[in-house]
Amino acid sequence: MRRAFITGITGQDGSYLTELLLEKGYEVHGGVRRTSTLIRSRIDHLYHDPAIYNRRLFLHYADLEDPTTLRRALTKAAPDEVYHLASQSHVGLSFEIPESTCDVVAMGTLRLLEMLRDLPHPPRLFFPSSGEVFGRPAVFPQDEDTPVAPVNPYGCAKAFAMQMVRVYREAFGLFACSAIMYNHESPRRGENFVTQKICRGAAAIRQGRQRELVLGDTSAERDWGHARDYVRAMWLMLQQDRPQDFVIATGELHSVQEVLETAFAAVGLDWRQHVRRDERLFRPAEPARLVGDASKARRELGWAPATGFADLIREMTEAALAQMRSESASAAQG
Amino acid sequence: MKKALITGITGQDGSYLAELLLAKDYEVHGIIRRASTFNTGRLDSIYADPHTPANRLFLHYGDLADASGLARLVGKIQPEEVYNLAAQSHVRVSFDAPEYTTDITATGTVRLLEAIREVGIRPRFYQASSSEMFGKVQEVPQKETTPFYPRSPYGCAKVYSYWVTVNYRESYGLHASNGILFNHESPRRGETFVTRKITRAVAHIQAGLQDKLYLGNLDAKRDWGYAKEYVEAMWLMLQQPEPDDYVIATGETHSVREFVELAFSHVGLDWQKHVAIDERYHRPAEVELLIGDASKAKCRLGWEPKVKFAELTRLMVDADMALLKAHREGRARVTA
Repeated sequence: MRRAFITGITGQDGSYLTELLLEKGYEVHGGVRRTSTLIRSRIDHLYHDPAIYNRRLFLHYADLEDPTTLRRALTKAAPDEVYHLASQSHVGLSFEIPESTCDVVAMGTLRLLEMLRDLPHPPRLFFPSSGEVFGRPAVFPQDEDTPVAPVNPYGCAKAFAMQMVRVYREAFGLFACSAIMYNHESPRRGENFVTQKICRGAAAIRQGRQRELVLGDTSAERDWGHARDYVRAMWLMLQQDRPQDFVIATGELHSVQEVLETAFAAVGLDWRQHVRRDERLFRPAEPARLVGDASKARRELGWAPATGFADLIREMTEAALAQMRSESASAAQG
Repeated sequence: MKKALITGITGQDGSYLAELLLAKDYEVHGIIRRASTFNTGRLDSIYADPHTPANRLFLHYGDLADASGLARLVGKIQPEEVYNLAAQSHVRVSFDAPEYTTDITATGTVRLLEAIREVGIRPRFYQASSSEMFGKVQEVPQKETTPFYPRSPYGCAKVYSYWVTVNYRESYGLHASNGILFNHESPRRGETFVTRKITRAVAHIQAGLQDKLYLGNLDAKRDWGYAKEYVEAMWLMLQQPEPDDYVIATGETHSVREFVELAFSHVGLDWQKHVAIDERYHRPAEVELLIGDASKAKCRLGWEPKVKFAELTRLMVDADMALLKAHREGRARVTA
């Protein structure tokens, strides 16, 4: 049985990837951080399945800032593949906490590379880089050859980690590769990301839980895909004969405004009656027009996104609404 | 009187820059790391007793790994200019100690920028970027617009610091500039760097104290300039009305082999009798043809290198000969 180790297993991508790998017959190991509240909702359904947890899915306490423990977990799990998804993944927040963003995203990846290099049989490594590494690019869409020029602390750290992955591949012969992944969302997206904020906001207004939604600039455009499609690309990249970097994107740009319109329409509301602007939510250095050209992935991996933009936003809004309704129902019962 | 803060003041560039700024009537503050051996040798010629009233050079204990200490120093000194020259600056060593290299050379920069952003005076900021960022070069010669392709942990860390400097300039309006300096050498170059290793060996072989010199890749080509001139470019960048990024280079490239030939022949030695290759000194991944185009610096800063390859090589050999002689005669070390 093939074994995989996932850092960031409790996150959006980690949970989808775990499902995919379990489906493919892998034994899956995940690193989890100790927190005083046990928030593993994204993998709860797997954790509570006695046929899976501690049989084919194992969780280890580990932290990118605690190399000894992580090294021990990796040695014990002896994985064939490592998916390094753990990250401080919020761009706006990286302006508030630039040093810890650098420590986790840049230094954390380097620590992991060092550990893998020392293992007797170095596993294959997947690293998710980000479209943010291109900053405000002069070319549209961006591909694997577009120059890196990040414009926020998150992008700087991701660029560092991606370049370091390449150094370890070229200098030490590790099977290590990066995907330059553009925004990918899902009902499991963190609540402080704009898509989720809007979809949950629309559902909450529909349910009468809140009256208005406060947003920053809605003209910003992004290339938004579905996380479930993107984790498939991660796995495909580690099944190739040689390690390579790929852009993973939909190739389509949509504005925050379109997210707003689609989400509110999905629950039968007019967004104009519920949205208020707040200048304070504008980012200090807003990147523009990040859209990826994934033709290399299409050609060499046979990968293409299966879910379009409108379906994605509708799925997110409907999932939020269903969740709120079941919460209300159980509250009424209790 | 203007105040400047220099990280890495005990290094090659830091010591030359401190001298330049003192000559321009600055009050100069430097951050030094605590070590059990003296690490201020390069500052000997300008160091004065801090109790002397005329003293304008102040050294403070600190470290780029220590964020609180940096914030405290920047707040206390309130410098108009900050020069971030501190780094784990050895490329080959960065493969052996990549985490430490990253902590100082990458994260250290964001720690310092955060300290600067907090202080009311808004100092101007100089970041010591490096030609190693170009690594597997995407065009020849390299200029400010050439994409980076770092090939070592050191190169990756410097690229990070470059972008985070640009990012703080754009996001917070800091007067922050990158000098992308190609290799720059001097008699004060660290003894483990190839140029200095060669010139020291030439002095020792000439004096009969050593017979063999072991080197790595003789075919590696670099653009080598004189550190003393390069620190002038740093200062010039911070005197401009607008912050910007500049390549600082000679525009000439020479191989390690050429440096060896010239250094040995300068004292009448045949290098082939003394030089041997040791594979251990090869880098896991070598950078290619590094050659810088400094025309932007020439045009905007009026900066141009005067000391070129041959003069630099001879100057370094002469200094190491003099140093060895002084040492053998029991005199104090000389600083060029």
